[in-house]
Amino acid sequence: MLRYILRRILIFIPTLIVITLLGFIISVNAPGDPIERMVTAAQSGGEVGTQTINQIEQKKFWRKKLGLDLPIFYFSISSLSRPDTLYKVFDKNEREALDRLVDRYGNWEYISEYFLSLNNFYNSVIGFKPDTTLIKEYDQNAVIETINQVKFEALALKSTYQHNMIEAKFTKLSLLLAYYPFLSKFQAPLGNVHYKYIDVEKNSSTWKNYIPKMNFYAKNQYHRWVFGDGNWLTGEGSQFTKGLIRFDFGTSYVTKQPITDVIGAKIGWSMFFALLSVVLSYFVSIPVGVKAAAKRGSRFDRTSSIVLFMLYSLPSFWIATILLMTFANPDVIHWFPASGVKPATGYPETASLLDRMLISLPYCILPMICYTYSSFAFLSRTMRVSMIEIIGQDYIRTARAKGLPENKVIWKHAFRNSLLPIITVFAHIFPAAMGGSVILETIFTIPGMGYETIFAFQNNNYPMIIAVLTITGFLTLVGYLISDVLYAVVDPRISFSR
Amino acid sequence: MKEQEEVTNGTVAVETEVAKKDFSFRSYAWKQFKKNKAAYWSYKVLLFLIVLALLAPLLANDMPLYVRYKGYSFFPAFSFSNKIEVKDPETGNIEILQLDIADWKRLDAESIIFAPIVYSPNKSDLLNAEYVSPGGEQLFKNKEGETVAMPTRFRHWLGTNKRGEDVLAGLIHGTRISLSIGIFSMGIASLLGISLGAMAGYFGDRRLSTTRGSFWTFVIGLIFAFYYSFIMRTYKLGDALASSGVSIFFELFISLLIFAVITTTFYFLGKKVGKIKFFSKQVFIRVDSIISRTIEILISIPNLLLIISIAAVARPSMLNLMMIIGLTNWTNIARLTRAEFLRIQNLDYIQAARSTGLSEFKIIFRHALPNGLAPGFVAIAFGVAAAILIESSLSFLGVGVPPETVTWGSLLNAGREQFSAWWLVIFPGLAIFVTVTVYNLLGEGLRDALDPRLKK
Repeated sequence: MLRYILRRILIFIPTLIVITLLGFIISVNAPGDPIERMVTAAQSGGEVGTQTINQIEQKKFWRKKLGLDLPIFYFSISSLSRPDTLYKVFDKNEREALDRLVDRYGNWEYISEYFLSLNNFYNSVIGFKPDTTLIKEYDQNAVIETINQVKFEALALKSTYQHNMIEAKFTKLSLLLAYYPFLSKFQAPLGNVHYKYIDVEKNSSTWKNYIPKMNFYAKNQYHRWVFGDGNWLTGEGSQFTKGLIRFDFGTSYVTKQPITDVIGAKIGWSMFFALLSVVLSYFVSIPVGVKAAAKRGSRFDRTSSIVLFMLYSLPSFWIATILLMTFANPDVIHWFPASGVKPATGYPETASLLDRMLISLPYCILPMICYTYSSFAFLSRTMRVSMIEIIGQDYIRTARAKGLPENKVIWKHAFRNSLLPIITVFAHIFPAAMGGSVILETIFTIPGMGYETIFAFQNNNYPMIIAVLTITGFLTLVGYLISDVLYAVVDPRISFSR
Repeated sequence: MKEQEEVTNGTVAVETEVAKKDFSFRSYAWKQFKKNKAAYWSYKVLLFLIVLALLAPLLANDMPLYVRYKGYSFFPAFSFSNKIEVKDPETGNIEILQLDIADWKRLDAESIIFAPIVYSPNKSDLLNAEYVSPGGEQLFKNKEGETVAMPTRFRHWLGTNKRGEDVLAGLIHGTRISLSIGIFSMGIASLLGISLGAMAGYFGDRRLSTTRGSFWTFVIGLIFAFYYSFIMRTYKLGDALASSGVSIFFELFISLLIFAVITTTFYFLGKKVGKIKFFSKQVFIRVDSIISRTIEILISIPNLLLIISIAAVARPSMLNLMMIIGLTNWTNIARLTRAEFLRIQNLDYIQAARSTGLSEFKIIFRHALPNGLAPGFVAIAFGVAAAILIESSLSFLGVGVPPETVTWGSLLNAGREQFSAWWLVIFPGLAIFVTVTVYNLLGEGLRDALDPRLKK
């Protein structure tokens, strides 16, 4: 038995790894640059096309904190033409532009030179403050406007990769620089950058793109996400994240809080509803299923079959909305509050745990009904089918033949064996309850993980979504483990010692 | 009873001949299916829904099907262009009718034939905005510009939403979306599920063997194929996808072509490599283990959460949604098909086919597959129900569905803002319920009909 459990846990680990990989793949493909969002959301404004030093520093900090300055995975397949340090380029758009240039010309030596000179040019332009005496004779606003345009064009050039666009930007820049004599000192550097670009074009070596190359990285984003940035086993020396295995899920893009704190505050309600609903539905569905099977073909069987089937097909969000519309609507019947799990003002401070439960009870009734009914329908049907199967077996006929009362036959002999399938479906019901929580928590505004997921979805808070995905995957695996072990415990016919 | 009737009705000989002719599994299953009243009825309801979905633009459209105006006849609902020029025969003025925004209901046409429901799902009827109930007072501006009570022909039979959009029109067009999501996503899922399930069940862990050399050559070939067809073409594919046209299919086709060419090359190369001494050792490809593990992993992630996560990074579009639902919902089909193939591959006729030296490919497709599809079909029927439920839940949550698309779920969601607008909650929910029930009943009926062992 113990060996079986151990083996089961060993299988558990690769599954968990695949789940984290899945979550990671999804999060890597998230659109947009999180750094851009986090920093500019904090302080927008400033001149067009320029970044304050402060902003750049902040971006650097967040890149480091989120680990985005690392390569993505343990290995990558790229071409011979590609440098294995491209991930170090700061800006997502610039990185893509560079990569596309490599894709077209295949000569990183020249492209990097072009990019460096462009960067220098950009920095000198950004740092340029016109002398007040120089611009006296011109229209001040026009001068500032022109300089801003130069800065903007230079910035845009860094993330441009189409040939025509690049040429157009060079032409435009040199035109802009020709406006005022004091700008003409930039003409030469610009020309230099342009030469470098022409060099890139001339010396293209596209053949390098056809030769694949593998790069390996010991430190990478996935590793950091799972194991933290310290020692991978002990977690010592970690600076920003302790890693998934130590339940550190990273930083929320929205509140910039650790996700673990957010989820820790929310998971309670989700688990409460999911578990209690499963328990409740087991309690209701077992007698219903047994009774329907014992009196197969009776009126009870037929009506319960139909009702259960209907329940099974009823979309839970529909029922939830109808319930809210009917029983939490001041215009119709106002028995229950419409949202939340506790009064908006919170519990009174003196309330004991029991009092708090009593206060929360009316809030929980409608959601609980919605959580329970669908799994209840599914469970009763499963129970009925397995009971019917058992009743058809020889040993039940024997029990009847020796004159046992029907009650005893059903509850003592048939019931125990028919429980088996219903135990195994626990593993199916639990993920369903967790997944269903997304909808029901949103409708009833229950502060749980599901509601948090939708909130994160609306705010593109990818780490949160992935964290919820991983946690529920983990919990579901635990559910499978429990039901497998229970199965082995309940049914002595099954031996796992193999 | 029945037999007696047949005898009294005459010609027993003919009857037996018919019976002989019809004694195929298919006709038997169809007969069984017909006996199941609920399933048979749901089959009919489904046909009705499909017709509704196919004819949606003709059933609910604010553009008339036919107009005769100033001597010109045209068919706005069927027209491809959006503009029609009408020359007044008396004054000679040219009037341009823009089909989608023309006020057809007040047009001074000689004759006009409207669709049964004279509204389109996305068009607002401003006079009846702010939740007009089905039985309530509805307003209409007549040709003289006076606001009068709504004529029966133009009524909003199931009311309107906040923006004055017709609920019934939305429901009819929603049928289209729900059914197509169900069918297409399950199409993807069944392709995946049946082929993977069949492979897992048929090959098991020890039937597919190859030499060590060809195995590793093929694996290396896969990496190369992946590199040349996808990694090298990342930007080509990405740009094609962004340009939203047929170009993505073209680029994808080229990529797949490259992939196929390289893998086949390496496959044949591997055969040669396999002859070298060290590489000629036999290895088993554990097809069943790999596929079963994949299924296990996929079912241990709550489906809805997985879909929401993927939808968070994908662009909201119906096509994406179908793909996501399809790619995450094939597990049940695969599991049932696998079990069936496990059974079939041990049957005598398969052994016989094998002993005649037929290729595995032929055995699977010609002999095993027709026999092993039944459980998959059942799972597909249930899967369509599940897919429709998922789609409506997602659009209810506003996840993964383009905001301008009117679906049953989005209609229901609109009802959440205004509880007094019960029609926005009841009718779309009913539509979802009926469709899901129909598919579930169909699945039950199919299961009973296709699996004679379940019969008492």
